[in-house]
Amino acid sequence: MSIAHPHPNPLPRAGEGAGSTRRTLRQRIERWWQSRLPTTDSWALGQRNIYILPTRAGLAFALTLLVMLLASINYQLNLGYALTFLLAGAGLVSMHMTHGTLRGLTLHLRPTQAVFAGDAAMLEVVIHNPGRPRHGLAVFFHERGGSGCSFAWCDVPAGGHETVHVSLVPEHRGWHPVPMLVVETVFPFGLFRAWTLWRPAARVLAWPRPEQPAPPLPASDASAGEEPEAQAGAGGELDGVRPWRRGDSMRQVAWKKVARSGELVSRETTATRQNELWLGWAAAHGGDAEQRLSRLAAWVQAAHQAGLACGLRLPGVELPPGLGDAHRRAALDQLARWG
Amino acid sequence: MGANFWSRLRHLPRDARDTLFHLLVIGWTVLPHLLHLPAWCAAMAGGVLAWRGRLALTGGPLPSRWLVSGLLVLAAGLTVWRERALLGKEAGVTMLVVLLALKTLELRARRDALVVFFLGFFLVLTHFLYSQSLGTGLWMLVALWGLLTALVLAHMPVGKPALAQASAVAVRAAALGLPVMVVMFLLFPRIGPLWGLPQDAVGRTGLSGSMQLGGVAQLANDDSVALRVRFFGTPPRPEQMYFRGPVLSTFDGREWTRLVPTVPVAQRPRAEFLLDGAPLRYEMTVEPSRLPLLPLLEATPEREGAAPSLPGYLVTLRPDAQWQTDRPLGERLRFEASAWLQHRHGPFESTLGLRDLVDLPAGFNPRTMEWAAALRARPEYAQADAPTLVAAVLRHIRAGSFTYTLEPGSYGRHAVDEFWLDRKLGFCEHFAAAFVVVMRTMDVPSRIVTGYQGSDPQPLDGYWIVRQSHAHAWAEYWVEGRGWIRVDPTAAVAPERVQRGRSLQPTPGLVAGAMRGIDPALAQQLRAQWEAINNRWNQWVLNYSRARQFSLLEQLGFERPSWQDLAKLLVLLLSLASLGGAAWAWWDRRRQDPWQRLQALVQRRLARVGVTVQAHDPPRARASRVREVLGLRGQALAELLDALDRQRYGGAPPGSPQRGWWRAFTAAARALPGELRVDGSAGLATRGRR
Repeated sequence: MSIAHPHPNPLPRAGEGAGSTRRTLRQRIERWWQSRLPTTDSWALGQRNIYILPTRAGLAFALTLLVMLLASINYQLNLGYALTFLLAGAGLVSMHMTHGTLRGLTLHLRPTQAVFAGDAAMLEVVIHNPGRPRHGLAVFFHERGGSGCSFAWCDVPAGGHETVHVSLVPEHRGWHPVPMLVVETVFPFGLFRAWTLWRPAARVLAWPRPEQPAPPLPASDASAGEEPEAQAGAGGELDGVRPWRRGDSMRQVAWKKVARSGELVSRETTATRQNELWLGWAAAHGGDAEQRLSRLAAWVQAAHQAGLACGLRLPGVELPPGLGDAHRRAALDQLARWG
Repeated sequence: MGANFWSRLRHLPRDARDTLFHLLVIGWTVLPHLLHLPAWCAAMAGGVLAWRGRLALTGGPLPSRWLVSGLLVLAAGLTVWRERALLGKEAGVTMLVVLLALKTLELRARRDALVVFFLGFFLVLTHFLYSQSLGTGLWMLVALWGLLTALVLAHMPVGKPALAQASAVAVRAAALGLPVMVVMFLLFPRIGPLWGLPQDAVGRTGLSGSMQLGGVAQLANDDSVALRVRFFGTPPRPEQMYFRGPVLSTFDGREWTRLVPTVPVAQRPRAEFLLDGAPLRYEMTVEPSRLPLLPLLEATPEREGAAPSLPGYLVTLRPDAQWQTDRPLGERLRFEASAWLQHRHGPFESTLGLRDLVDLPAGFNPRTMEWAAALRARPEYAQADAPTLVAAVLRHIRAGSFTYTLEPGSYGRHAVDEFWLDRKLGFCEHFAAAFVVVMRTMDVPSRIVTGYQGSDPQPLDGYWIVRQSHAHAWAEYWVEGRGWIRVDPTAAVAPERVQRGRSLQPTPGLVAGAMRGIDPALAQQLRAQWEAINNRWNQWVLNYSRARQFSLLEQLGFERPSWQDLAKLLVLLLSLASLGGAAWAWWDRRRQDPWQRLQALVQRRLARVGVTVQAHDPPRARASRVREVLGLRGQALAELLDALDRQRYGGAPPGSPQRGWWRAFTAAARALPGELRVDGSAGLATRGRR
């Protein structure tokens, strides 16, 4: 399916090692250029968005041809002329072939699953190919360096598609725009490099990095001062009802009320309430907001593993208790988006 | 064992397989050079390639850079010691082969191979310095195919692509590049050597401007073609086929050179011709001799219509009746000229300049001069004219137990004495030189003429082939009133050399001997066939010179072609090709799927009324988006979009009512009460982000 592997130094790039003033100017131009590009999740490659330039090898090839031409002239070698011009013709054709390797492809980005900050988010790039087989495509992020960099090679069969995985490591929680991707090729002779710059519209959500080691989960008490309903419920054995939540068992459903009201409701008993855990802002005391969020994230994970239904209460946000992976994700999403 | 070997080869890991293929290609490219490379270089290159192959098979580590550098220094040292240079043809090729072989030891990654490819391309070119034959061309075509295939392979990083796949890509690129090659080959101006003739190239030909006894013996072993000639009319008999080369008139005791005149210009002998009978028209193809002369059939006069005309060369007739060019022939030339086989060659009256042609250096060959003086002093020759004396000398040669041989051994200071009086072994040069010394002693003006005599017995495709082994030396003597008379002393002792035009045949080599041992008739037939093919190759590929370029231009309608015309035409064609490419690109950009184009148009139109939709949204999704944003006002638009959706996806028969649909759509959009006014800059921005 896909071939993704880290690559220390994938392709030589022109212009590296320039002076610092030149570099800032270059960066400015690049930034201006990038800002002109639209953000989109589907990128069709055509004349307008494929760039092509000779590589260093291409320049060396041209130099070789020049020397060969001089030798042919000086020694009056007709076969030398033929050889030189044949290579020149093949080199020119290779320029079109390099460009044609990208032309007509369509790139899509599959929706990306959220990950913890510091973990690698796998981006799935699907390359659709309506035409002849394509070889030697490289997919990587435009910004090199840092930890969130990855590189993948792939071939795309004729009339088919190929999925390429590139990984992105978000450093901190929250929404991250997917950085600009580069799809490039030097196929077939390595004399020209054709590439396209793609700014995907998709964003990656990074959950707070779970604190490690995390303190144990707070006690599953219902007497936390900040929970008025829980206080009210603590006194009696009142069987309340509440809307059905994912994770409630069939036996918990108040079928009679369901029949009457038409809405799915669950019985709220002391027993279930005792299994509920409210993870609150105050419980994760100590440290700044980010540290609290980290701790809460670690607790959400721990509660999920322990099979405890946990609710989340952040300033301005409340997520009722629930079970299951979807709930865990919802809770983590809240943590990621908070603030 | 064989099956096992092949299966092992097939299951090699990719890197090992690629490396082995690469080494094989390099080996193939280097192989023909082994014929003229020093043995140490061949051994080193072969050893290094074999070693690298073994490392690829066993997966062993590559040697350290120090070892490779050490080998390189060793090779450079050996080259300097052997060739006394690091540059120049032989040394350069030696170093190139060594570099290429050693670089394979640094083939760590696929990308490292690029240097090897470029060195390899250059190495292919160096073979043409030695031979441009059809065989070499085919061999190098295979080498080029291999190099390009390996280059493609290096740029297919995924999986283990089949060799055939990479090869198909390489062949496709080369085949598509063929038109470029043909146009450039035809039109690239053939300009002369840029920095003078490479010195090491001289000496390939048999003729030169001077002669020392012994020089022609080496030439006799050279079986390569010197020229081809086709006659429009009855071909001359072999003994009439004299192709005139340098005329050697001045003798310093050791070396014969061209005339060094000692008299003013007015008194020097000039070439004059009295022509008799009908001219014989002929077409000649001369191989690049790197000498400034044309070996034309005797006698080709300097006369309108008879003299050869070569665009790009200034061709003149020397006073000694030899055709010279203003610069060495660095290319194969084809031209037409006319010769009169029956002619007389002046000057016909005595001039002071003829005294130079009886001059002999003092202190050389005293015994021959004594012998000649004694002959002249005989009573029966007291009143004899020059022809009588010549006949007497030729009689002496016939009767004097002279032997015509290719291996006369070396002669010393008084070479003519030793030949004429003692050993009597020699070939054309010895006979011609001795004859001239004898004639000059008898006060008859005479000189040596070098050139080619005779040809292969049968023509091929109408072309008579003259080889370097047909190189010959004969003599001319001068008689008042009759001019210069040709005399071939070699014919006196070896008539078959002249009458049948047979070239000097050394003992056949090992391979040629085996060929003859099998079946002489078959071998000869094969050889004839091969020569015919090779001749076509020479005529149409290698013979392509500036003259042919100009005649091509003339056919294309240029009145007086020059190399500037060639350059202009080339630039024009290349520009046209680029324009064509640009036009195609423009057309290709426009060549969008009609459905996608409509989708994009709709998207842009909707954006102008404030509804943003995605490029990939189907019309029904766009309809709901329109309802969402515009509410009832957009009802007409939404219905149109729904209709479009039904037409596209609802199984309606495929037609193209899209034009009408688009008109209705834009009308509906324009009818919207609050349509956003779009100014120019916004339009521009939209276009930029399409």
